[in-house]
Amino acid sequence: MALARPTEAEIAALRSRMPRAFGASTGTRILGAVAWSASIGWIIALLWWFGFSPTRIWNGLSGLGTIIVLMIPPSPGELWMEILKGIAESVAMAFLGTLIAAIVAVPLGLLGAGNVITSTLAHFSIRRVFDGFRGVDQLIWALAYVRAVGLGPLAGVLAIATADIAVLSKLYAEAIETAEKRQAEGIDAVGGGRLLRTRFGLLPQVWPVMLAQALYFFESNTRSASILGVVGAGGIGLQIAERIKVRHWDEVAFIIILMIATVAVIDLISARIRARLIGRREGAAVQ
Amino acid sequence: MLELQGLTRRFGAVTAVDDVRLVIPDGQMVGVIGRSGAGKSTLLRMINRLTEPSEGHILYGGQDVTALRGAALRRWRTDCAMIFQQFNLVQRLDVLTNVLVGRLNHRPGVMGTLTSLLKMFTAEERAMAIRVLDRFDLADTALQRADTLSGGQQQRVAICRALLQEPKVMLADEPIASLDPRNAKVVMDALRQVNREDGITVLTNLHHLDTARQYCDRIVAMQAGRVVFDGTPAELTSQRVRDIYGVSEDEFEDSAEEAPARPHPARTRLAVA
Repeated sequence: MALARPTEAEIAALRSRMPRAFGASTGTRILGAVAWSASIGWIIALLWWFGFSPTRIWNGLSGLGTIIVLMIPPSPGELWMEILKGIAESVAMAFLGTLIAAIVAVPLGLLGAGNVITSTLAHFSIRRVFDGFRGVDQLIWALAYVRAVGLGPLAGVLAIATADIAVLSKLYAEAIETAEKRQAEGIDAVGGGRLLRTRFGLLPQVWPVMLAQALYFFESNTRSASILGVVGAGGIGLQIAERIKVRHWDEVAFIIILMIATVAVIDLISARIRARLIGRREGAAVQ
Repeated sequence: MLELQGLTRRFGAVTAVDDVRLVIPDGQMVGVIGRSGAGKSTLLRMINRLTEPSEGHILYGGQDVTALRGAALRRWRTDCAMIFQQFNLVQRLDVLTNVLVGRLNHRPGVMGTLTSLLKMFTAEERAMAIRVLDRFDLADTALQRADTLSGGQQQRVAICRALLQEPKVMLADEPIASLDPRNAKVVMDALRQVNREDGITVLTNLHHLDTARQYCDRIVAMQAGRVVFDGTPAELTSQRVRDIYGVSEDEFEDSAEEAPARPHPARTRLAVA
């Protein structure tokens, strides 16, 4: 049924009664306009600073086109076995590195969770240590480890593990903090100690999340492990870099296709594992 | 006049609503009662086509609503507002915006859609929203987020949203099942007000016989998808309830309340059977 339309006078009365309901105040509007123009100005300044121009992008695109033409048809070249070995090495590095990180991150995540370590100072400083480690990229770790333990996959594994421990610990800590308090309280109520409360009250809630994140990291590390080779930390990266140097783009294309296939397979398998472990709710109990 | 002709809905082998025939004159307040799984929700959801009928027709003012598609269907949904058991407000939006959502299908054309996307409602629309909120003592909450309100307040906001649609019919699917008795009364009073003052036809599912008797002009009782009683509150005596359901009134209400919120109609039906 039609509602009566308010008259101008009624609208004015309501507007003076609840001005905010009719839009932001003048101050907020001005602030908004300033914020918008500042961000647009900043973006334009950045584009100018980096020398963005349509012609440069267009020329770059045609350069990219030349590369793509050189890539067709992809060819394995003569070093088939080398390529396969390189990819296997990348996958193995990613697996080992992620596994180490995922295991070490569990106790660290517990230490970083505010609902496990209730001392604010301890919890705060642990979190800041995570932040510090997170500020350093995998590639920097790889360069450092290559100097420390020499060329090869060991440096890569250590780089992946070090970089991911910090990130996974933070993610785990956050997952633990979102866990329900009531379930842990149930364990407290039966007289369980701190360790047992964590084991039975917290871990069953968060471990599927932890596992899912570790599997994502494994997949993403397989991709990033291919770059570690460029700095000599093992894996397929070195072979890609060498082929780019001598402009064997067809072989580069072949390696890229193989990498995509590998990551797709890993993604498929990990999706299955996640679905099985997380989705198991009807009947079968876990742990 | 809303007319249901042989309305039927099957979920697999289960018939949730079975050949329902009803004629509801404009301005009536109708209570649909029945135990959980009797097909009340499915019936209501079919009327504004949130659930598609398997068979039968819905007519409003002679127009066959069952055949509508696209823009015409959306226009029908605007005419036939829905109140949900769980309120179905957008929790992160403020109350005013939640109410203004009721105007969305009244803003035609590309400009209407564009301004809606940017939440640019006119002063007139905002004034309408505040006036409706005012009617239910909610104007003070207009700028709060919907999730800061109590259940009873949220359900009244949902009624305000429905009113801004300027509907001809209002469907309410267990509007008070998630509320405590005091809030339930406030919400039922609001529905009656909508019916009496705005002349909107109200069709509401209820599982409390007393509530239905107190508020409705007419009561339709369902059992296993079929209409087993259709009459005035005075005609639905305790003896009639016993005849229809084979249990006393208290037992009827206990069994209606025990049933959980229904995730899937077919499943609930099986649980009752």
